Amino acid sequence: MAVERHTPPASLPPPRTEVGLVGWAHANLFSSRQNSLLTLVSVVTLLLALWFGLRWVFLSADWTIISRIGGFFFIGQYNTDGACPGNDCFWRPQASLLMVTALLGMAWAVAGGGVVKRIALAVAIVAAALAFLPYGMERMGLDVRLLLVANLPALAAGWALARYTRLGSARNVVVLGVLIFLLTLVLLRGIEGVPGLQPVQVTDWGGLMLNLLLAISGIALSLPIGIALALGRRSNLPVVKVLCVVFIEVFRGVPLITLLFMSQVLVPLAFPEDFPLNSVLRAAIVITLFSSAYMAENVRGGLQALHPGQAEAARALGLPSWQTTLLISLPQAIRNVIPAIVGQFISLFKDTSLVYIIGMLDIVEFSRAFIQGNPEYLARAKEVFIFLALIFWIFCYGMSYVSRQVEVHLGVGRR
Amino acid sequence: MMKNLASSLTYQGIPVWRHIQVLQWTSQIVSAVVVVVLVLWFFANIGRAIQDRDIPYGFEFLSRAYQTPIGQHFLPYESSDSFLYALGVAATNTFIVAVVGIVLAIALGIVVGVGRLSRNWLVAKIATVYIEFFRNVPLLVQLFFWFYILLALPTVRETYVLAGGVYVNNAGISVPWPTATGAGTGLWLALAALGVAGGVIVHRQRTGREVATGRPSWPLFFGVGTFVLAAALGWGVSWAAFGELPLGISQPVQEGTFLRISGGFTASAGLLALLVGLVIYTSSFIAEIVRAGIQSVGRGQTEAGHALGLSSMNVLRQVTFPQALRVIIPPLISQCLNLTKNSSLAGAIGYSDLTNVAKTMTQTAPAVSIFIIIMAVYLAMSLTWSLIGNYYNRRIRFVG
Repeated sequence: MAVERHTPPASLPPPRTEVGLVGWAHANLFSSRQNSLLTLVSVVTLLLALWFGLRWVFLSADWTIISRIGGFFFIGQYNTDGACPGNDCFWRPQASLLMVTALLGMAWAVAGGGVVKRIALAVAIVAAALAFLPYGMERMGLDVRLLLVANLPALAAGWALARYTRLGSARNVVVLGVLIFLLTLVLLRGIEGVPGLQPVQVTDWGGLMLNLLLAISGIALSLPIGIALALGRRSNLPVVKVLCVVFIEVFRGVPLITLLFMSQVLVPLAFPEDFPLNSVLRAAIVITLFSSAYMAENVRGGLQALHPGQAEAARALGLPSWQTTLLISLPQAIRNVIPAIVGQFISLFKDTSLVYIIGMLDIVEFSRAFIQGNPEYLARAKEVFIFLALIFWIFCYGMSYVSRQVEVHLGVGRR
Repeated sequence: MMKNLASSLTYQGIPVWRHIQVLQWTSQIVSAVVVVVLVLWFFANIGRAIQDRDIPYGFEFLSRAYQTPIGQHFLPYESSDSFLYALGVAATNTFIVAVVGIVLAIALGIVVGVGRLSRNWLVAKIATVYIEFFRNVPLLVQLFFWFYILLALPTVRETYVLAGGVYVNNAGISVPWPTATGAGTGLWLALAALGVAGGVIVHRQRTGREVATGRPSWPLFFGVGTFVLAAALGWGVSWAAFGELPLGISQPVQEGTFLRISGGFTASAGLLALLVGLVIYTSSFIAEIVRAGIQSVGRGQTEAGHALGLSSMNVLRQVTFPQALRVIIPPLISQCLNLTKNSSLAGAIGYSDLTNVAKTMTQTAPAVSIFIIIMAVYLAMSLTWSLIGNYYNRRIRFVG
């Protein structure tokens, strides 16, 4: 008896409306009548926006004002006659940029690639690319351009230094980072009597440089202060707890701009007249304290979400309470609230634009003052603020990108 | 000798420097003393500065005439009014921007947040781009952008006139506005308020009936209907009683040698830019909160809703959203608070909010006193928000 072999019929290919571009569009754009209508409306809106937007960008907009402001975006009035007689101070911020790219090169070698590599390359390449902008030679001299291009070799040098010498460790990078920050402050301020380093008043610092300085110091200090405040608020010592709660709630309840203005009017009265506090320092302190109050609440959220079993287990293992907090609770708590913490960093960076209230010319205020001072550019304000929006967007989006990479690296949500 | 001292410094048999209670109390006393000394030192310095440099202080200035104009104001204001009243006018300015801004920002934020979760790829992408762009640009830059766009409009002299008597120029937008005509307005408003109360009662009753019987009873339709009926009836009664319409319309008109616009309601360029900027900026944060809230509701809930035959819209309204609110409300409240505080950027674009007016006042009045007042006002506002949030949070949390 012949064995009847059962061969299943070959499966038919899926219908053409379910695969490929057509299938994708069917599933994602035209799955129902409402959905199709929604798609149609969005397409029309998008096309109209693109039509008018692109027409404006390429035909109506006059971007010459961007190159007219040019280097002022980055350093404000730092290199003008009033701040630096002789106009030979441009090299100082550039020198600190070179140090930063070298440091990024080292960090790249230490981290071995990944997101650090991408940031390092982006910073160095953008800085070098700025040297080739079509911008009047007399306004951006050859020395300025050369120093900008030098960012590429600086990156390579830093990378090689960390790769082939014993300097390359994460600890060294952090220590060097702090040193470079302090050196930058000294370099920008200048030293009395040293040739080539004539003093520049801190009130003459400005542009993106000022935003970055305030943001970096704020970010570096507000996290530890915020952690201390969060721990204080959760402490069972009544006095410490009340002090922390009052500090946090007062700083969170009042707008930063009010605090900044107060730092200008009231704080000088609260210190003896010869107390060494300048307006930039005061602004930095206020921004840091304001941000650390918010940071404290983020960290507290992370601590609250932590299962009490973690701390109990640590204590059962015989760890003293400070080790339990430092080694067990905090690392886990902070890992859980990385997005909130980075969100606060982003907020802080955006908030540095509020220093206009105390008369500092940061990148936003300098541009606004430039427009106000040159009425022929009043109609070109849109272009300037779109450019500023893009600059801030790149930094802020970059930070949230890094935070997502760090989360992936730490395996948040997977373990 | 040393050993003797060490062994005598014990408390309950434990050396004092290792005794937890001793350490806790010492640290608390030390921190309290440090803070108190610092505060006292600050106040002593301020006191000395006040004496040495002849800085005015005290609160007598509050009853003095402010004698400075305030740009846009919602309460009637003249330069001869007192500092106290001017502060009230400024606080009202802040309050109105905050309330209008919050309502619009929540509405826009919900639309964008739901849009980001849409199954329509294009809508989801547009919402994502919207959120990622506006969240990552400082509010100040956005405010300046809108403000300078408004400033680029024609001057009042060459104003655009739109249909219906709307004037658009670089001083702002003027629209026709209802005005009270007298006692009739009060009567009509009172009757309309009664209509609101009646509408609420009808809505409740109809909802109860729908729940009890399962038959559709159109609670919203009947509730709103009651209100509209009462308002219309009130309009007629008031008209019959006083012989004039309870509301008049004030049309903006251009007059005088400078062709200034009077009448109607004018929203200044500063106010418009502030509102647009605040609403767009805050809505991008609220959208993310809404998205996280909706995503926190289990998939099974949506699927169960669909299985019951509810439409997508109804699943969102009746099933997903009420549950998502538990996650949404706390961060939403803090966004409302942020919007209120962010409205203090108004000064940069020439709108007279509390901070801006206070800043101007410091030129003619004691700065210390003014700061105490505005800190108190802002703290009161944020406290109110937290109270509302806590109350609401208690009401909607799981009953376990």
